[in-house]
Order: sequence, then C-alpha cells, then structure tokens
Amino acid sequence: MNPFTGVGVGLRRPHLEQVAALTESPVPFWEIAPENVVGQGGSRHRQVMKILERDPVITHGLSMSMGGFDEWERDVLDNLRGFLTTTRSPWHSEHLCWTSYGGATTHELLPMPFTRESVSHTVARARQMQAELPVPFLFENVSYYAELGAAEMSEKQFFAEVLEGADCGWLLDINNLYVNSRNHGFDAKEWLEGMPLQRVQQMHIAGHTWFEEDQLIIDTHGAAVIDPVIELMAWVLPRIGRPVPVLLERDTDIPTLEELLAERESIQKAYDAAFAPVPILGVGALRD
Amino acid sequence: MTDNTLALQRCVMDLFLDEKGAAAFAADACAFGAERGLDEPDQAALNRFKPRLLTYRNLIRFALEDPLPDCFPILQTLLEKADLWDACVDAFLASRFIQSSYYRDIHPAFVAWLASSGWGQDTWPFLLQLAHFEYIEVEILRWPDEPPLEGLASVPAADLQVVFDGTARNLAYAFAVHQATKENPEPDAGETFLLGYRDADGDFMVSELSAHASAFLARCLEGDRIGKAASALDLDHIEALELLGDLRDKGAILGFR
Repeated sequence: MNPFTGVGVGLRRPHLEQVAALTESPVPFWEIAPENVVGQGGSRHRQVMKILERDPVITHGLSMSMGGFDEWERDVLDNLRGFLTTTRSPWHSEHLCWTSYGGATTHELLPMPFTRESVSHTVARARQMQAELPVPFLFENVSYYAELGAAEMSEKQFFAEVLEGADCGWLLDINNLYVNSRNHGFDAKEWLEGMPLQRVQQMHIAGHTWFEEDQLIIDTHGAAVIDPVIELMAWVLPRIGRPVPVLLERDTDIPTLEELLAERESIQKAYDAAFAPVPILGVGALRD
Repeated sequence: MTDNTLALQRCVMDLFLDEKGAAAFAADACAFGAERGLDEPDQAALNRFKPRLLTYRNLIRFALEDPLPDCFPILQTLLEKADLWDACVDAFLASRFIQSSYYRDIHPAFVAWLASSGWGQDTWPFLLQLAHFEYIEVEILRWPDEPPLEGLASVPAADLQVVFDGTARNLAYAFAVHQATKENPEPDAGETFLLGYRDADGDFMVSELSAHASAFLARCLEGDRIGKAASALDLDHIEALELLGDLRDKGAILGFR
C-alpha cells in the first residue's frame, strides 16, 4: 500500500517523545525538514531517528534559497543527499523563494521578482539542485506579502513558467494560495485554472493569522486550518485526479498531539469525501 | 543576465538587516532604491509595497532573534535589565554573521559575533565567556551521537590513552560563568576550569576542575598516555587515575586503550 496518500502531519519537537513511544505511526506519513535533523545528536535526535526508521516520511527543505545567488554549501548538500537516502523520502521539496544574499541568511521565505530574468535564474538553480538530489525535486508556491520590484508578469505566470522551465514537480500549498488570494485580492480557484496540476505531487495545508494593524494575513502556521482552506483543498483534489498526499503543517502555538491528530482526522474526512463517488441523484425519477 | 534580481535582493537585504535600514526606507523608499542602483520602475514598486516590505523586516528579525533567549537566558536577563538586549540583537543582525543554512547555527554565530565585535565587553568583561558557556550547554546537548567503541578498558592505567566522549569539552574561563544565574547574572572574576559533557541520560553535566587537572585532561585529549601526561605535570599518578575513573563513571570518558 502506498503510504504517501491521505493526510500526514509535520513532525514537531513537542511531540517527539510521545510519538517515539508509540508502537505504530498515528499518521499515514510525517514530513520533516532535513536541516533540523542532520548533524545532530542527543536524546531528542534519537527520538526523531526512531520515528523516521519506523514510519514513512517526506522531506521538505527550508533554507536552500532556490532563487538566491549564494552557492550552496557542499557539506549541506552532502548531508541532504545522505538524509534523503536514509529516510527513503519519495521526493524533496523547497520553496520558490530566496532566503540569503551575500552569504547572510534571513531564514525567511522572501519573494522573487516576477520577471523573465528571475524565471531564467530560478529555473537554472532548480535544474542544478535536481542534478544534486537522488529523488525528484518539487517547488512549493509561497505566501508573498509584497512584489519585489516591478513585475513583468503575474505571480501565477511566474510560478507556472518556473515549473515548466525546471520540469519539476509541484508542492501545492493550498493555504499559501488562499493567503495570497486574500492579501492580493484574487480568486484562488481562478488562479488554479490553467495551472499544470499534473505536476502536483503533494499538498500543504495550514492555518494562518490576520494582523489587523498591518491589514494582512500572515502564513504563521499558528492556528487551526479554517474551513475555506479545507474546502479549497477538497475542490482541487478531484481536479488533480490523484490522491496526492496532503500535509498538515503547524509551527507555532503547537497544540497537543491529540488535538493535532483530531484536526488531521477532520481534514482526512474532507480528503476522503473529495474522492467519494458522486451519488446519482434522481434515479427514482428516471424509473418513473 | 541576472543583474536586476541581484540588485533587488541586495537592496532589500539592507532594509531587512541594517540597524538604520527601516528608518531610511520608511523616509523615502524610492531614494533608498536609487542609492542602491535600482531603476525607476523598481523604485516605484518598493514605494508601492513599503508597509509590507517593512513587515518582512519584522518577520525576519523575529525569526532570527527567536532562538536566542533559549540558548542565552542569563545573558538576555542581564542585558534586559540594562535595557540593551534589543540593541545587542540589532547589532548582531546588522553584522550579517548569520550565514549558515542551519537554523541552529544562529547560536554559535552569536558567540562568534561577540568575539569579533567585542560588543558590550567594556561594560561587562565576562560577556563573551558567559555567552560561550551558555552556548556550550546547547552544543553538548545536541552533539552528534557516536557509534559505541569496542575493546576499551574500563580501568585507567599509566600506559593507556583516554578515549573521551565526543561531547567532552575542557573549558577555561576568567570568570565563574557556571555560577551565573538569572537572579545573579554577573559571575565573579577568577580562573575557572570546567569539564562539560553529556551523561548517559543525555543531560548536560559540568565538573569543576583544578588548574592542574584541566592541564592534565588537555594533554590526555591531545593523545598523551596517562602516565606521561601525569608525569609532565608532576601529578600524583594515583590521583590522576582516580580522576579519570570518576569521569568515566560519569560518562565524560568512554574508556581507555
């Protein structure tokens, strides 16, 4: 049975001890950031490794600055490659953004300029990264709060051109799409029209936070997923046409494991319903 | 050609990290861009998204500052009492010492920046050493595990070498940094020799050492045989063996070969 379907959960530090003590996984799969595990040791690390040896895992990177200009550190790439092999992750994803410049890193997902020059640059970097990895590479669409410089195209066109140019898979972050649609005033379903959904290999779903002072939704991963985001997930899944894995992210205000698993369960129900056969209404009427 | 993308990233990094970046950008975003070589359409875009680019600055600063209090709780308490914690963080971020892809490396970058800049050390000469000791605890707790070694002797002898646990750190300070607390964050001056390590339960441990014991362990760490190291320092061999046996029991030493 393919474990990489249904709704998984991001493995987080507060839950490690509890999850490691279980005899079997409470989720179809976990997601983990290699940067937070490789080169570590101690009791927490042993708990992580115990879980990763027992349960299916997908890896997701945070800091490779795919749209940046700094060269990747050789030891970081080597560690990543080794981790992907050890965990048998089916693919590895990163954000379509930049995080560092001139050697200094921000650890924040910063928007790319929506220009042809930026497309070419990012495509070249993605192809370079793909050549380094032992598994397929996926780009995630990020939340962006500002355009960087004068745009020559829409964010949608930019993202699609990078995916096509790099010929890579897509980690469709449904919450990021929703956040962008609200912050920039467009329709999320229209945004998905004409996008290369055949490239989607995985989805992310998460909560976000409205900041009144800034009049802005920030992708905090610090709250439960709201219904419109779950509905958007359920809307797009049949259009993708495959039961791609969906990953529930939670990074701040992390609830108990029980609460998180209960949230996962409710999203799983929406996921299952999205693939349920459509009842044929009015059969009786046809007989009549 | 990637000139524009590069110039845009360089420009906003000044906004995000420089201490006075926010004020200059808020005062005139177009001029901020022009001074950094951006053309007029890009300057106009900076101006159009001014509040949201300032939001990015706040997000970045939150992300980079967030891991510091967990690692440096005593230093933070000290500087907060003097209302200088934010100034310290601002100067650290502006230094651009955070360069690693690994988030955990923000901690050693902070110590390296204190060492390089000397920030605050005219007022608090112990500041760097306190930060170093606070970081050492975190480093030891997450130091990579090593595979068990076979064939080690459990009892020290003069003709054997010491095999230390990978987490063992032989430390020397000019202040009693291990005695500093949040309530009393300023350590007393005085030569201080410590051995930090991770015990079998995975907890951070620190043992106070005499100057002689520290010098002896330093020689052992360099690979000297136990008898040679003790003789070089005129140490009583029996006391030296007792020290090593004790440290083995505690987990700082794996064994002898």
